[in-house]
Amino acid sequence: MTIINSRSVLSTSVVLLASIPLVFVLYQSGHLQWSQWTGLWSARLPGLLWNTLSLSVLVAIGSFALGVSSAWLITRREFIGRRLAVWLMILPLTIPTYVFAHIYTTLTDRDGWLGQLWLWLAGPNVPNPELYNVFGAAFILSLAGFSYVFLLVSDALTRSRHDIEDAARLHGLNSRQVFWRVSLPMLRPAIAAGLALVVLHVLSDFGAVSMLRYQTFTLSIYLQMSGRFDMQAAAGLSLVLVVLSLTFLILERFFRDRQRYYSSRQAQQLQRRPASPMEQVLIWLWLGGITLFAFGLPVAWMLHWSFEAWQQSLIDEQFWGYVKNSLVVSIAAASLATVAALPVALFHARLRNKVSQSYIHLSSVGFVLPGPVIALGILSFALSWLPWIYGTLVVLLLAMLIRFLPLAVQAQEAAVQQVSPSIEEAGRSLGATPWQNLTRVLIPMLRTGLVSAWVLVFIDTLKELPATLLLRPTGFDTLPVRIWIEASEEMLELAAPSALMLMLGTLPVLWFLLRQHDAAAK
Amino acid sequence: MRHIVLSLIMLCFYAASGFAQAADLIVYSGRSDKFVKPVVKAFTSETGIKVTIHSGSSTALLNKLKLEGNRTSADIYISNDAGNLQKGSEMGLFQPVAKETADVIPNNYRAEDNTWVGLSARARVLVMNKNDQSVDFVKSVFDLADPKLAGKLGITHSSNESYIAGVTVYMRVAGIDKTRDWLKGMKKNVGGSVFNKHSKIVKAVAEGKKSVGLVNHYYIFRHLAKNPDAPIKVVLPDQGKDGMGVAWNVAGAAITKHTKNKSAAEKFMAFMVSEKGQKQFAEVNREYPTRPGVAAAEPVPPLSSYKVADVPMSDLGKYRNATLDLIESIGMP
Repeated sequence: MTIINSRSVLSTSVVLLASIPLVFVLYQSGHLQWSQWTGLWSARLPGLLWNTLSLSVLVAIGSFALGVSSAWLITRREFIGRRLAVWLMILPLTIPTYVFAHIYTTLTDRDGWLGQLWLWLAGPNVPNPELYNVFGAAFILSLAGFSYVFLLVSDALTRSRHDIEDAARLHGLNSRQVFWRVSLPMLRPAIAAGLALVVLHVLSDFGAVSMLRYQTFTLSIYLQMSGRFDMQAAAGLSLVLVVLSLTFLILERFFRDRQRYYSSRQAQQLQRRPASPMEQVLIWLWLGGITLFAFGLPVAWMLHWSFEAWQQSLIDEQFWGYVKNSLVVSIAAASLATVAALPVALFHARLRNKVSQSYIHLSSVGFVLPGPVIALGILSFALSWLPWIYGTLVVLLLAMLIRFLPLAVQAQEAAVQQVSPSIEEAGRSLGATPWQNLTRVLIPMLRTGLVSAWVLVFIDTLKELPATLLLRPTGFDTLPVRIWIEASEEMLELAAPSALMLMLGTLPVLWFLLRQHDAAAK
Repeated sequence: MRHIVLSLIMLCFYAASGFAQAADLIVYSGRSDKFVKPVVKAFTSETGIKVTIHSGSSTALLNKLKLEGNRTSADIYISNDAGNLQKGSEMGLFQPVAKETADVIPNNYRAEDNTWVGLSARARVLVMNKNDQSVDFVKSVFDLADPKLAGKLGITHSSNESYIAGVTVYMRVAGIDKTRDWLKGMKKNVGGSVFNKHSKIVKAVAEGKKSVGLVNHYYIFRHLAKNPDAPIKVVLPDQGKDGMGVAWNVAGAAITKHTKNKSAAEKFMAFMVSEKGQKQFAEVNREYPTRPGVAAAEPVPPLSSYKVADVPMSDLGKYRNATLDLIESIGMP
């Protein structure tokens, strides 16, 4: 029982820390009068709900189409360059949404590459397509987010019990029927998890929607806070957003918990059907098209403008300072979140009762509250309770920890579920102390989950914008902050090298994550 | 585990050592880095006072200042918009600058209690395509609501600071009803399609895609400096005996209430209103120095040549929420 106790103490403290921003929101919105609520309700909410939900649905559809199709092709067909294709589908994760938005608005501009192409194709009388609407925002966020669906679904496809598919085939279903009636339903948990991740990113996205001026809840909350200094209305809107996201999260969890199964390692390695030459061409047309828009064009743009910057010798010592700052924050936040998530994940995986469930939900605060609100909550907390940490890196790290804790918890929880409780019991019956059990039994077995957690948090922290903008120590600029500043001043040759460095910084950890995935799959 | 924790602590120390170099003066700046850096550099080389610039959006920085209260490390706040400066004064975030510093700048361009001082001014003017005579009738910004301009008008989106400030000025002079009708007319004329940058409006007018646009004056001169042959002209609206005059907005600076380095902050403000500082602050962006007697850079029309709307810049803060309400009630894009 001591293990459960120490875990419960640790996870309680982590969860308490994570709920600081939520307490802030509840406290602030508690000051709202009833008339202010009804005012908010009638004036703002219908439009915001419609904007936010329609964007979420469109992005879910877009990511589903891109993510599931590519995952299925890559795991079920053997074709030339398949290994490369896996990479190409994941690389978009290295580009933040606001970089996508910035690049595509410049590209579709009249003198941008796509704008010029459009002029050539459609003639001068047809206005070029604009991204400043729901479709533009959905396009950008789908490109930036479909890789999550791809990752989870292809993982599930590789691990899935293909004997069931074989059985269906033996019973006379053709391959299309097998996909729709057997594979897809079995993939439901993975698809749900992937789409949940994508939609939560949409709900909390700040960078892209503010560059495209598409009013979602998050952007509206930010404008309410920073344009009108109206904390209470901002908190009221945040509360609605929290309810919205929580409903969604609980639905997704409910859905997934009912379908939990321990994967059997004995399941045979699946045979990929070799693709005919014609199929190969079609497969590459599809995957190549996705790659072109989700990675090729943005990278070409970054290289082009970085080259300009290099020629004008704009890449100076200051620039490398931004790189260093970004790395410091990301490495520290990823390590913190990984350590903090472990007790919460273990606690829930073993207990599985209402308390542990509610802990998981509370640790998801970072997903349901928009970045600017989390930052504000932490700021107020630090100023009134821990003034001596204010203005230091600690405050920023705390915000990052809270924002991205859910990523770490989810990654580790998935890994913990695969470790049968009997192994831990065996360790204990052989006389291992709780600490030994943790360091010598659990951590080695959970390595994949821990590394995934670390990498996911690292990547998201490296790209994080709104909380960094508010909480960074004075004069402490990171790459996202610089991209934000330069982009708002239209200094393309200054924004591009920072975006390129962000991408390059993410590559090695992504490679590590993928290699581990492969090792686990084998 | 222990290794992770240890290396984490080391990292934090390493990081902390990186940025904790002592700066004598910390400036929260909501104005473009490229405009602030030169004048700050000149200040440092003249006084030897080191400055750290912490840039961000004007409103976000003001918010930060408010939340930080007496724990702030900021000594100076700079914004591109008088509205923000005045908001800061109303929230009690600033302290008055020395009288001899404030007195250099005319009343209209600083706070009543001298808690902020305007340093450079910009004019809301019209840019027109020389080749399209059909828009020559436009003499006032209110003409922009004329249905004849359907499809020919370029304006920015309504969350742009300069746009909001302009609307506030017109609302103060012409009244809320006239301004509401005006916004409605413009909304019809642009048909939901607005620009996200002033520079793009000027470009669209130069290319003949639009015929007339409402912008800050320096965007036009910036475009002309790069493309001297562009077929565009500057039109100063609302002139003549009955005209209300051109709307102005100022960028300015303030000393924070809780600065721990008041003497350096005062020196900074004094430098900014000095002739040298004024020239440098305004010139990089072709704006008007607010200090009388310091002329704007060459092609910009001299201040004495036209009429400016008689609205104190502090009104841009006092009435900003009213303007935002108006804009939102119409649903301007």
